[in-house]
Amino acid sequence: MIQFNQVSKRYPGGFEALKNLSFQIDAGELVFLAGHSGAGKSTLLKLIAGIDRPTAGSVVVNGQNLASISRGALPFLRRHIGLIFQDHKILFDRTVFDNVMLPLDIVGYDRREAARRARAALDKVGLLGREKLNPISLSGGEQQRLCIARAVVHRPSILLADEPTGNLDRAYALDIMELFKSFHQVGVTIVISAHDESLMADYGRRILRLNKGQFTQ
Amino acid sequence: MIHWLRLHRLALLATLRLILAHPLASLFNLLVIGIAVALPLGLYALVSNLQGLAGQLPTETQASVFLHTNAGPADIGRVQTLLSQDPAIASARHINKHQALKDLEQTSGMADLLAGLGDNPLPDSFELTLKDGASTDLAALQTRLKADAAIEYVQLDSEWAQRLASIIRLGREAALTVAALFGAALMLITANLIRMQILTRREEIEVSKLIGATDSFIRRPFLYFAAVQGLLGALVGIALVGLGLNRLNGPVSQLASLYGQSFQLHLPSPPVLGLSLSTVALLSLFGATLSVGKHLRSIGN
Ligand SMILES: Nc1ncnc2c1ncn2[C@@H]1O[C@H](COP(=O)(O)OP(=O)(O)OP(=O)(O)O)[C@@H](O)[C@H]1O
Ligand SMILES: [Mg+2]
Repeated sequence: MIQFNQVSKRYPGGFEALKNLSFQIDAGELVFLAGHSGAGKSTLLKLIAGIDRPTAGSVVVNGQNLASISRGALPFLRRHIGLIFQDHKILFDRTVFDNVMLPLDIVGYDRREAARRARAALDKVGLLGREKLNPISLSGGEQQRLCIARAVVHRPSILLADEPTGNLDRAYALDIMELFKSFHQVGVTIVISAHDESLMADYGRRILRLNKGQFTQ
Repeated sequence: MIHWLRLHRLALLATLRLILAHPLASLFNLLVIGIAVALPLGLYALVSNLQGLAGQLPTETQASVFLHTNAGPADIGRVQTLLSQDPAIASARHINKHQALKDLEQTSGMADLLAGLGDNPLPDSFELTLKDGASTDLAALQTRLKADAAIEYVQLDSEWAQRLASIIRLGREAALTVAALFGAALMLITANLIRMQILTRREEIEVSKLIGATDSFIRRPFLYFAAVQGLLGALVGIALVGLGLNRLNGPVSQLASLYGQSFQLHLPSPPVLGLSLSTVALLSLFGATLSVGKHLRSIGN
């Protein structure tokens, strides 16, 4: 499903954020990505989503090599991917509900069916009662869950979560991990990054550990 | 297909929401566009009204040919044949100089004065009716006729009509030039408006791209916005011209009544208005396309 072959990423300034990484994630797998701040976790997830391109090596997602994918094909690849951004990227000029509708509008979903799905996604993350609010009035944890609802509403086959439990207390974090587990159970391939490994240990899943852009054991 | 229509309806609804969300700014934009449309359109309206007025005047072109006062019967006969053979002349009526003098005595009441002159000061003359279309080449006719030694003077009664026609042509050219200038301005105005919109919606565009929006999905609402705004702005422009003409109509019909005429200024015909509307919409669309092409690339990846 996701395959990295000797991938390096050097940013324009010359800083090499990822160094010669090779790994594979199978369809339906749930994998954790650990590492200190600045280790390259976000960079790696961005390469999977085609937000950035590797400077060396190949990234293959869903059978497509992202090093050579055309500009026109990229949006269609991204529709198979649900993204939970580290900086949320919630739009504060619209309601909670409209934030969740965005991925469906982009695909041109029938409005009524889209609204039904959006409500289902909000229900799943426990925000159904808040759909008409502006997201600015949500707490940090609620905003995090709004991001999750938006990432899963179009039923992607791959879910990339960049520090989804970043600044939440442990009880909230566990809630959210339960959510991911339920997506995993319906066959979604999931990559979750975090700098704090304590949450991951409980789940007995594969952990990719990054240190200064390289894997460690 | 349904899917495609849905995307377009979505973009159109978003456009209307956007226009209504900032009523004051939208109104201001529409006025700017409206004025840019009203100036050339108003000029065009005036010119074509003037043309309509010119059309009400007799179209048959007349001319008079005056002979030298010493022209004899032989000259008169020769000129008569010359005139009847000329391709531009439909008919020529000879006016005998004695007859002309008698007419003048009767109509002017200056019989005593004229009698005192002794010699008849009037020449023999011909009144010409020109063929349709001949009016385009009056200068050539004039030189042709003047070539005959007996002909002293050729007077084209339609000279002023020609002058009016060239004024109208000039006005029309001016309207076109102003339209071209304001069209270019309109394009730039729209490009700039769209640029500002793109900047204020930068975040939305970035997020949409990241979650799989195609370039055309991002572009569509801006293009719709430009086209709809252009159309509404053009309607405002037409309304402004209508108001302006309406204001002028009072004085104009007063002026016309002084000449025993009834005359009213009208808006240009529906086809012309339709053409203006679609031209403005297309220009706005083009300006938006330029702007969108230039600025969207710089957002997200
Ligand atoms: N656009 C960029 N240009 C230059 N350098 C960058 C850019 N993005 C990230 N980096 C650098 O690459 C390194 C890895 O960044 P990255 O965001 O992937 O880290 P991270 O593991 O996600 O860290 P955190 O846990 O703090 O989010 C960092 O040193 C960062 O400074
Ligand atoms: Mg990060």
